[in-house]
Amino acid sequence: MNDIKDTKSVGARINTVLTYAVMIFFTVMAIYPLLWLVMNSFKTTTEFQMNKLGFPKEWVLVNYKDAWVRGKFPRLILNSFIYTGVTTVVTLVFSFMAGFAFAKIPNRATKYLHGSFVIGLLLTLQSIMVPLFLIINWVGLYNTFLGVLIPYIGIAMPMGIYLGTEFIKSIPDALVESARIDGATYLKIFISIIVPMAAPVAVTVAIMTVTGTWNEFMLINILTSSDALKSLPVGVQKFAGALSSDFGKQFAALVIGLVPMLVFYLSFRKEITKGVAAGAVKG
Amino acid sequence: MSKVHTLADAKREQRRAYWTLVLPGFLVYISVMAFPTVFSVILSLTDYNGGRLFGGKPVSFVGFKWYGRLFVDEYFYLALKNNLWIVLVSLFGQIPLGFFLAYVLHRGLVRNGDFFQTMIYLPTVISTVVIGILWKSFFAPYGAFPELMRLFIPSYEYGISSNPLLPVLFVILWMYTGMYMIIFIANLQKIDGSVIEAARIDGASEGQTLRYIILPALTGVLVVSAILAISGSLKSFDLIYVMTGGGPANRTTVLSIYMFDKAFKGAPNYPLANAISTVMVIISFSLIGLTKWVEHKFGGRE
Repeated sequence: MNDIKDTKSVGARINTVLTYAVMIFFTVMAIYPLLWLVMNSFKTTTEFQMNKLGFPKEWVLVNYKDAWVRGKFPRLILNSFIYTGVTTVVTLVFSFMAGFAFAKIPNRATKYLHGSFVIGLLLTLQSIMVPLFLIINWVGLYNTFLGVLIPYIGIAMPMGIYLGTEFIKSIPDALVESARIDGATYLKIFISIIVPMAAPVAVTVAIMTVTGTWNEFMLINILTSSDALKSLPVGVQKFAGALSSDFGKQFAALVIGLVPMLVFYLSFRKEITKGVAAGAVKG
Repeated sequence: MSKVHTLADAKREQRRAYWTLVLPGFLVYISVMAFPTVFSVILSLTDYNGGRLFGGKPVSFVGFKWYGRLFVDEYFYLALKNNLWIVLVSLFGQIPLGFFLAYVLHRGLVRNGDFFQTMIYLPTVISTVVIGILWKSFFAPYGAFPELMRLFIPSYEYGISSNPLLPVLFVILWMYTGMYMIIFIANLQKIDGSVIEAARIDGASEGQTLRYIILPALTGVLVVSAILAISGSLKSFDLIYVMTGGGPANRTTVLSIYMFDKAFKGAPNYPLANAISTVMVIISFSLIGLTKWVEHKFGGRE
């Protein structure tokens, strides 16, 4: 009996070691490039050219100082906060308002309106890039904050509507109805019943909107021309073009672009992963 | 207080509330997404090429002229082929790998699963711009990759340019596998653990449990993942734009880059660009329809 148990545990141990080896391999694969980047951002360009894989002999901060000033990062980071903040708040408010109406106020139009948002989940940003550029030009919003914010909000809406409606549907009808009988207006019901209950799913929608908006860089490139309106990713990308031979600065700029999302991720990783899973539960 | 509430009043109030709540979001969505999509299809059938739509140069319909132009352009097929490679890597790379990682983590086959999960998912949240430039530097002749290879093969010569799409495919795999891992973990957690326990007690092996209990329960999410992979693959733009810009010599171009070049590089050709984006939408919806059909035909357990 003991023998059998022992051989089994040897096999199991080999399995365990193999599993660990595979998992560690994937983990190293995932984070090594990022560590490599951070390490090299502390080397001077001259040192990088001679020592591409090792630790810096001397950790220098000059790359960061130069990149910060040359890249006009304070302005870009502020813009990124404006775009992300406004988009997230407006998307949340609009999509939960509509989600409440779709879920709790009977209307024949719901089928079509809600359906059109679900189709929006499948549309790709690239398929609207050119027409959006033309439309924004015609209405005179080219190179304005509003001309960036409105598209950002519209793009974030389908997911917000989808998750918001699904969640509000799960709130018992009786709650809404009894409040109606007590004479509460729909606005009052929305603010005093729906909003407090929907907080968890609002966090999910907020996180998805924040991630998407903060990282967006194609539309803003097309819809604005002035440096004062650009966002952090655009600023980072500049260092890959004209300044690309100055590796030290380039790496420092990349780390500057990396840090905000990294902090955000490590602070909210439970909610972020929950959001990803929720977003995929469609179909 | 003295106001009499009739049924008609209540109905009217209900309708007004409905539209007040729906319209703000709907108007933004329609003007930013739905209308441009339809508009793009219309523009692709005209010769409109910038400027004022009314009162400028008269715009006329030219039928399928631009589509004809598109279907004889060799770069269109090159882009299409590269897109298909990305779809394949997503379907047969990211999804199986993501499932494997999720399975190991969910079944608790390693300790500190939370740590592994956090690290493997990390690349997914970082800006595509940062990822693109990082890997571009990593794979570049001056970068770390050639050096790293020389540690193992001293005679290694920098030769990645022989197939410039390979690094791109690798980075796509690297970046998004974590997303599928998370999706699978969330859905594995929904499977009743006691069913698995019971099967194991009845003598089912790990493999049998996987084959007869876990995989059938995941049919739905596998289809959703396939849809995500397909539509995500067609969206792959930012990363390639930053990493290679479609080059060298258009060899890593994809439909979205091809479209971008036609619209925003050099002399713009908006109708042609709109024709490309229409084709992209059609391909995306057909592939998703196909996936749904396959599920209906062969899955159908849910």
